[in-house]
Amino acid sequence: MNWQQDMAGENQEFAQALKHFKASMDAWSDAALSRPRTVAEVAVRPAAAGWRTAASWALGCLLAAGSLAGAVREIHHRQQQTKLAQKQAAEERAAAAREAAFLASAQVEKSVAAAATAKKVPSVQDADLLASVDSDISRQVPAAMEPLAQLMDDSGTP
Amino acid sequence: MAAGVVVKPMTVEAAEEVAAQEFARIVESHRPQIFRFLLASLRDVDLAETLTQECFLKAHRNWKHFRGESSAMTWLMRIAINLQKDYWRNRRIQFWRQTRANAVDLDEAGEWLPNGERTAEQQMLAREQVAQVWRAVKDLSERQRTVFLLRYVEERELSEIANATGLSEGTVKAHLSRALGRVRTAMRGTR
Repeated sequence: MNWQQDMAGENQEFAQALKHFKASMDAWSDAALSRPRTVAEVAVRPAAAGWRTAASWALGCLLAAGSLAGAVREIHHRQQQTKLAQKQAAEERAAAAREAAFLASAQVEKSVAAAATAKKVPSVQDADLLASVDSDISRQVPAAMEPLAQLMDDSGTP
Repeated sequence: MAAGVVVKPMTVEAAEEVAAQEFARIVESHRPQIFRFLLASLRDVDLAETLTQECFLKAHRNWKHFRGESSAMTWLMRIAINLQKDYWRNRRIQFWRQTRANAVDLDEAGEWLPNGERTAEQQMLAREQVAQVWRAVKDLSERQRTVFLLRYVEERELSEIANATGLSEGTVKAHLSRALGRVRTAMRGTR
């Protein structure tokens, strides 16, 4: 059964529309198949390809240079950081040494002061002792010498 | 075999040469139909050309497996149908892409008519009818559209359509009937 037989019972207008549809499709397809091919596009391609190659090379070089610069920068940055860390460590060591020296000197001073204090205390005690002895001696006069002592007290001279 | 006739065995090279010539003849004779079917299915000239080439490339690769159980045309049409199915499937997967940029507008597709000896009025009427059919065909399901185009554009027999689509003849008839019904309804609706 061919397709025209399908249309046997169909509305004439509908069958006509399908016929036109097929004719239209044939015309479009024939026109598309016989259309001239764009040869110029093919001729342009090598230039375009050259341009693309150059652009991709340039981009590649740019990327390589960028990554190289990045690597150099990174190395430099690390070196700087190492130096900085070393300097900081040295400073810390120096500060620690200074502090230790200061502490030591303070300790020495303290011990010297303590020694001095220790020396000073007996002298004070000695003086007190001497003073009390003196006062005891001057005050406690034997009974036999009392009248004479009274005389000395009043005038200061015998 | 007649006595005294010597039959030389064919060398592999000679057999390949014969096969290549045969295939070239098939390409030449069937290319327009395959292209037309793909153009009608896709409404994109460049894409139809690409898929036509791909269809013949596939056919060439599998030419030695073609056993002639169906006609070469049916076999090629089957490859073309699978290619356009793959294309639509890929389009669905690539959902972020916009709708086909190169696809021709339906009204523009309807502009194509052979220059018959018609009056301007008749030509206008014919163009309008073609545009209406295009609009209706666009809304058909993929399978209905394929069957419809194979029947009413390629004028294939039902058995050939069944072979090319891998459906039974009964299923082809059912799809065709539904497709016709929808096109008819759509055309009545636009009047």
